[in-house]
Amino acid sequence: MKKMQLEICCGTTCYMMGANRLLYIENEVPPELRGKFEVKALPCMGLCNDKNLSGAPYVKLNGIIIENATIEKICDKMRAMLDD
Amino acid sequence: MYSQLFVEMESFQFTKTGQAACGDDIQIKVLKDENRYLAVLSDGLGSGVKAHVLANMTTTMALRYLQSNMDTLQSVETIMDSLPVCEVRKISYSTFSMIDLRLGGITRIVEMGNPQYIQLRGTEEVQPLKHETIVSKHWPDRQVECYELKMIPGDRLIVSSDGVTQSGLGEGPQYRFGWRRSGEMEYARARISSNPEISSFSLARSIAYQAYGISKNTCKDDISCMVIYMRKPRVMRLLTGPPFHKDHDIDFAKCANLGEEHTIVCGGTTANILERVIDRKVEIDISKLRRDDKLPPAGRLPGVAMVTEGILTLTRVCKALEDSEPTDSLPETARKIIEMMKQHDKIEFVVGTKVNEAHQDPSLPQDLELRRGIIRRISSALNQKFRKETEITFF
Repeated sequence: MKKMQLEICCGTTCYMMGANRLLYIENEVPPELRGKFEVKALPCMGLCNDKNLSGAPYVKLNGIIIENATIEKICDKMRAMLDD
Repeated sequence: MYSQLFVEMESFQFTKTGQAACGDDIQIKVLKDENRYLAVLSDGLGSGVKAHVLANMTTTMALRYLQSNMDTLQSVETIMDSLPVCEVRKISYSTFSMIDLRLGGITRIVEMGNPQYIQLRGTEEVQPLKHETIVSKHWPDRQVECYELKMIPGDRLIVSSDGVTQSGLGEGPQYRFGWRRSGEMEYARARISSNPEISSFSLARSIAYQAYGISKNTCKDDISCMVIYMRKPRVMRLLTGPPFHKDHDIDFAKCANLGEEHTIVCGGTTANILERVIDRKVEIDISKLRRDDKLPPAGRLPGVAMVTEGILTLTRVCKALEDSEPTDSLPETARKIIEMMKQHDKIEFVVGTKVNEAHQDPSLPQDLELRRGIIRRISSALNQKFRKETEITFF
């Protein structure tokens, strides 16, 4: 099965608002999600100035933007994707 | 031939194990208008704070006398007469080396009690043009060695305290008399042979570490090594921040053409501009992340040495330069930027002036100063503390 692609924005705003913790997500996810995704850090996604989005940190899971991303939020999205 | 030259003067020190302050002192002054480069290395009697005071008094006085072209003997006697007398040994004492390097002219070195300087042209030792020993009437037991030499482009001067040449003293038959000047010179020649462009800082640090290693990783004396290297200037360029007008993105990105080892990009949006222009992607290696790093990880992009986050990283670099923090304790990215700056003589900043509105969000947990201000502070610290030339271009 193809692994899910998780892209984490490491721009200034995202990093300060929590992306620094998200970079360690592989160690933090519950066992059922381990090995099911690949993490990639990006210099900046350029989303922090988009008024239509609710706030940093931003990540993309298989290209879908997750705003105000937390490890729990990302795990929920991953589970939903796996269920689909 | 000499007008385009850069004189790189750097040093590295270890403090005697168990002491709070280094008993050696080094002071450097550049008189640009006179094309003169002055340096003094002094070793104060004993060790610790008392020795440091003696050494610091010596370097301060000697540098002033050098600058004012005072007679050598008079300078030396005044220094010796001025030093406080040690209550234990009942003598006032410091050893020193004074260097007055003149671009295109004669370089003069005055030594009292310090190991003799080493002049290397490539890996070959160069003998002085003239050598004279003077003995003071006030201090008949002190000999002052005066040398005149010619420095040409590519030459290096190595000046050390006896903590270098006497390192390892008594550590087995090889070091019955310590590392000695000959051992230090052989080591320097080997380092230059394997890396002919080695910077003054790297060579001074390498020699000091070798001396430290010979002493089985303890310092029985303060270890100081200064290297002066006359050569063509090395230029590096740091690009940061997107240009105010998007139309200028391509011209801005073209500034990253100085060569992979000489260019750094600081900023996510800045990196995005380069990605678009050269049609390649930044790759960030997160496998070696350290939780205590406190700065975003660096990335790789063809044609540049490193891509880092912008304002947090530059703020950390600025603080470290202003406070003269040791680089070993810095986060990886800030350490690499500062080390690269130290390896170069001229640092050109190419600064985009567009303000990221998201950085003005008051909920961000830390003050984010405007990029222009941080770059000016970094530039000023590099000028004043590290004698680097800098240039700032705004886009």
